[in-house]
Amino acid sequence: MTATEMGSNEQYNFEVVKKFAFMTIIWGLLGMSIGVYIASELAWPFMNMDIPYITFGRLRPAHTSSVIFGFGGSALFATSYYIVQRTCQARLVSDFLASFTFWGWQAAIIMGDISYMLGHTQSREYAEMEWPIDILIEIVWVSYLAVFVGTIMRRKQPHIYVANWFFMSFILATALLHTFNNLAIPVSLFHMKSYSLFSGTQDAMTQWWYGHNAVGFFLTAAFLGMMYYFVPKQAGRPIYSYRLSIVHFWALSFLYMWVGAHHLHWTALPDWTSTLAATFSIMLLLPSWGGMINGIMTLSGAWDKLRTDPVMRFMIVALSFYGMATFEGPLMALKDVNALSHYTDWTVGHVHSGALGWVAMISFGSLYHMIPRLWGTKLWSEKLVGVHFWLATIGVLMYITAMWISGITQGLMWRAFDQFGNLQYSFVESVAAMHPLYEMRAFGGMFFLSGMILMAINVMMTIRQGSTESAKATAAKLSMVNA
Amino acid sequence: MSMQKQQQQPQTTGHVWDGDLQEYNNPLPNWWLIGFYLTVIFAIGYWFLYPAWPIAGTYTKGFATIRYTNDKGVTKTVHWNSRALLMEETNAAVAKQKPYYDKIGSMTPEQIAKDPDLNSFVISAGKSLFSDNCAACHQQGGVGKMGFAPNLTDDDWLYGGHFDQIQQTITLGRHGYMPPFRGVLNDQQMTELADYVLSFTKVPVNPESAKAGDALFHSETAACYYCHGANAKGRTVIGSANLTDNIWLWANVPAAKTVADKEDAIKHVITNGLHKGVMPTWGGRLSADQIKLLTVYVHDLGGGQ
Repeated sequence: MTATEMGSNEQYNFEVVKKFAFMTIIWGLLGMSIGVYIASELAWPFMNMDIPYITFGRLRPAHTSSVIFGFGGSALFATSYYIVQRTCQARLVSDFLASFTFWGWQAAIIMGDISYMLGHTQSREYAEMEWPIDILIEIVWVSYLAVFVGTIMRRKQPHIYVANWFFMSFILATALLHTFNNLAIPVSLFHMKSYSLFSGTQDAMTQWWYGHNAVGFFLTAAFLGMMYYFVPKQAGRPIYSYRLSIVHFWALSFLYMWVGAHHLHWTALPDWTSTLAATFSIMLLLPSWGGMINGIMTLSGAWDKLRTDPVMRFMIVALSFYGMATFEGPLMALKDVNALSHYTDWTVGHVHSGALGWVAMISFGSLYHMIPRLWGTKLWSEKLVGVHFWLATIGVLMYITAMWISGITQGLMWRAFDQFGNLQYSFVESVAAMHPLYEMRAFGGMFFLSGMILMAINVMMTIRQGSTESAKATAAKLSMVNA
Repeated sequence: MSMQKQQQQPQTTGHVWDGDLQEYNNPLPNWWLIGFYLTVIFAIGYWFLYPAWPIAGTYTKGFATIRYTNDKGVTKTVHWNSRALLMEETNAAVAKQKPYYDKIGSMTPEQIAKDPDLNSFVISAGKSLFSDNCAACHQQGGVGKMGFAPNLTDDDWLYGGHFDQIQQTITLGRHGYMPPFRGVLNDQQMTELADYVLSFTKVPVNPESAKAGDALFHSETAACYYCHGANAKGRTVIGSANLTDNIWLWANVPAAKTVADKEDAIKHVITNGLHKGVMPTWGGRLSADQIKLLTVYVHDLGGGQ
């Protein structure tokens, strides 16, 4: 066992995978803590403390960048490097470039978070980082593409495994999105401030083309890649349908690019653009579900494992939330539903049912599978994984229930007219009505975060256990040689 | 699918990755495929009805139409578009309120306030207008905020609480001003003035000091009486405050615990003067009828004279 593990360590570059896996945990702790803090600021505004650096407006992008790019991004780097090596039976094409993607990516997010707190932002949602950081990300991303494609070209298998298609699609699309959405002219060479190359409606359209495809390719396609490896591995069963994976992969990749404009319904955007975005969103429903079907049907022969395997539970719940969020999304993209849901907390709830329910849950499951194998040991505590599962599930459910109620209440209050055709409620009355729901949301976040803390403890102990075991094994080996 | 289930071993594609990763080659589930086709049919139907595909500088308009009246009063039927929809809905909303506003336009605020038929409309539209335009400073319900904007529900009015005065305030806005007395009066003089002002309330101040303040108030040295009047009850013509009614806007006397703290709160205002009591102009932003309606609404908040 130890010998093969050591052999595979030489065969593959797991150093960079370990680093990214470790940082996934750190960013998870940090990003979710900021999330709980800003949710608390909304519920109990005194927590702003009149300190500009920690007000909601500045911490919010620090939260989104830390969880999406820090936690989610590091999880994707870790799993994609792990999967591409194992499924191609090839070592990463360049250790230097792989290591550069690690340090470059971490630096970009740290600099991003600090710059937001100091008040620098491009004011583009999920792309708030100013131009110097954008350039660093661009270089890191091209390196990532080179490492990934280079490794695939070295593969010893004639066929490319399905997970790798999804990762490639994600890396290519993200490169495209990041480049075009961040075309901006800096005020000067030594100034953080820049202005977008686009103006007015075009600018908004570019931003939401980026924004929604960040959801589509970063938070959906890439995590489907993760799912396509870890679900069959954990279940010990083949993927349900190769054909379905091909069809839904291409349908998803083709359709996603069209739907961004549904974030701009009922604005200055031309009506035809809105129509296309709404209809492509509807057509996206079944292709999105293709991944869920393939995942759930793969697990379907191993239902009994759900009783005993908490890692599997994370995966099945992740797939369920994925299915629910991708059903809700097209619904919200319809213009009439959007007229109610837009600008309300319903959107916030929708994003979190995807981000917490799908992205975080599938990452938790995958990390619990991968980390013991990386450090050549067993999980320190399976029981703790079970507790984490329940804390996370309760947390997500509280969060999205609160946001559904709050969002629909807001939508209804904002457009309630009395018998004379006057607005029935003022904005501030709707804010007051949200207060208990904001408290509930903050508590939901605390549940989710406490699960994350348990995971961090479990992972740290597992790593320690792995290191001790391998040190013992080396010592034993050495003593054998000496004898 | 049911056929597949009956087979002992579904076919895999024959590829194996990473030791044990394999794929079955099950066909696409029928419900999935039919569902996908249905969404495509839905989309195509939608494209036929509404503006959809850009073609060479224009776009397909769709067969759905919408009828609306433009701002010149011409009724048109055009292909469905959100601008016409907005126009149509705005027209309907305006038409619904037109009878009320017509009536308001022909009446004085006094008459409106007495008209029982208009009462419900004034409360409804007034709340909406007040919430959108006034509540940001005067707070929801008009209760005001210490050090920021006056309470509109009591009978203390800086610029007067009669209909015409309220209407003028809303239409033209207000800018309160008091000069700073830093360097003009020394600390003892300011304490005396503060004690004089506090003596109108039940605060136990030094009577000697208050008496000295009284003299100073009416002297040419401080000349407070120029603006606040000989009786210190203020003058609505220039918006100077009534200092005798224990109602405070700029000096937070109620929150101060000790007499010394209350004195300090008043001395702070005397020292620095006031220039931040600004209410913006609403004439031009709201229609004359809307201002008239708001006048009645504010008057009826509780303190109208």
